[in-house]
Amino acid sequence: MAITGPDPLTAARPDQPVAKTRRLRLSGGGFWAALWASRSGKFGIVLVGITLLGALVSILGLAPYDPQHQDLAANLAAPSSDHWLGTDNFGRDLFSLVLEGIVVSLEIAVLATLIAGVFGSLGGIAAGYLGGTTSTLIMRASDILFAIPAILLALAIVTALGPGILDSALAIGIGWIPIFVRVVRAPVLSLRNADFVRAGQVLGFSRRRVLFRHILPSVYGVIAVQTSLALAWAILAEASLSFLGLGPPPPTASLGQMVSDSSSLAGIAWWTLAAPSLAIIIAVVGFNYLGDGLRDAADPRSRRS
Amino acid sequence: MFDSRNRALALTIVRRTVSTLITLLGVAIIVFVILRLLPGDAITASLGVNAGLLSPAQHAALVHFYGLGKPPVQQFFSWLGASFSGNLGVSLSAQQPVSTLIDQAAPVTLELSIVSLVLGLLIGVGFGMIGALKPGKVGDEVGQGIAVVGLGVPVFVLGTALVTFLSSHFHYFPSSEPYASLFSDPWLNIQQIFFPSLVLSIGIGAAIMRTTRAAVLEVSSQNFVRTARGKGIKARVVTWRHLFRNALVPIVTMSGIQLGYLLGGTVIVEQIFILPGLGRLLVTAINERDFPVVQSITMLFATAFVLVNLGVDVICALIDPRSRGR
Repeated sequence: MAITGPDPLTAARPDQPVAKTRRLRLSGGGFWAALWASRSGKFGIVLVGITLLGALVSILGLAPYDPQHQDLAANLAAPSSDHWLGTDNFGRDLFSLVLEGIVVSLEIAVLATLIAGVFGSLGGIAAGYLGGTTSTLIMRASDILFAIPAILLALAIVTALGPGILDSALAIGIGWIPIFVRVVRAPVLSLRNADFVRAGQVLGFSRRRVLFRHILPSVYGVIAVQTSLALAWAILAEASLSFLGLGPPPPTASLGQMVSDSSSLAGIAWWTLAAPSLAIIIAVVGFNYLGDGLRDAADPRSRRS
Repeated sequence: MFDSRNRALALTIVRRTVSTLITLLGVAIIVFVILRLLPGDAITASLGVNAGLLSPAQHAALVHFYGLGKPPVQQFFSWLGASFSGNLGVSLSAQQPVSTLIDQAAPVTLELSIVSLVLGLLIGVGFGMIGALKPGKVGDEVGQGIAVVGLGVPVFVLGTALVTFLSSHFHYFPSSEPYASLFSDPWLNIQQIFFPSLVLSIGIGAAIMRTTRAAVLEVSSQNFVRTARGKGIKARVVTWRHLFRNALVPIVTMSGIQLGYLLGGTVIVEQIFILPGLGRLLVTAINERDFPVVQSITMLFATAFVLVNLGVDVICALIDPRSRGR
């Protein structure tokens, strides 16, 4: 085996990282500063921050009203200092209801992303690192899953499982698995042949050590970027499912359901449409920008441009 | 004549076709597994809780009727074989052959998809080119604005907002009349299809716009473009023959990917605009747990998506020899 470049023995020493492979780093080296410095990153942090804050307020019970409390005397009230985002046709406070909707939406999105991320990343790592038949099988399966438009796959799975928080999460998550497989496999595959990884192998490190200490640290960045994008998609998909009436059944609050309910009211009470829509848009756009920002910040090459 | 270039092209097409067929078989297996083997079977699906009241003999008769007693592999192949001969089963709720329901609904969705894709390409390629040729100018800013809306606002929000706006400000809602086909009442049909297509096309257009802008900008920094300009070739010719043609592969690829979102999007806009297409049929079928219909439509959409992407690969191989054999 001809090894060019730096002496493999020194290249493998952790105190002298000579490897020139493109690494996405998630910590140190002013990562957070770089994230904040990129326009997408800043935008993403702010919007995701608003979303998380909203969820936190609802979880801690700090919302101004009980979201399910019906005050029929105040139905369809316009936004005011009493009801910041107005009320719906049952007189429920839309601000409180939207906050609760965000919590449910995040719950499903996080579960879905977890399913997609864990299975997809493991598949991608195995396909990239092991190669051979394993890789062929995984990639074939992933291509097949990818061939069914994700939202249709979710609809089919919901049909079989029925609507519920875990069912929705599973339906949404499975569709995103092949995307994780693809984005994780690529860097693993290219790192497998990198000089510093070969050096580790020559030094007789165990496969596990090479995988966990040398290859995976460079893949975490890719996974983080994809996680953020997956969250954005999952929130959108969950809202779409519940808009179609296929999300968790009432009384679970749901932003998509609220948009759907507003369709007959929005002509006289625009806030019934605006309130849930705004929450969905802030969350989806936020996680999308955060993903772009993470990519910019974690990849020094694009940071320069 | 079979020179090496044509052979490479033919080989690419054959290889992609074979792998597409394998993919389709896999898709069929997945759809079958999800809808046939997961909890519940056709009996509980059609009878609901009443299935528990069946006597063992009645249950056995129904198992035989639906072919549930056979091993799953055999069920799969008999479903696949029947599908190929156009027998998609019988809708559990409508009590009609699934193929009849699909025949009625498919033209609506097809028209919606084509009009949306054309509008999306016009918006996307149009503003993408304008943006790439004069970055930062008014046209670019307008395009970027549309892209922000298209990528950030979900289809169902855009659709609901448009319907509300049209009906409350103009008292106009074309779908308040029953759906008119293109042949029975073209003018009403165009009105009924235009607005939902517009909603869908903004999302598609935004993605195509970003791809077009980035691809054209990248090409325009290359040496041969400078050479072409330096030779004194007319700007318009450089734009279309040099820039656009070389940026075409990512644009075509992105358009193929967008078709997946488009098919999902039709499900939503058909619901909002009350169009009797496949998407609406699908949602109705899901609510009634009408498995044969869900299975057939999912399979149909997935097949369309896979075939279009095969077409995209072939087109790319024709446009750009470099993308052959990949």
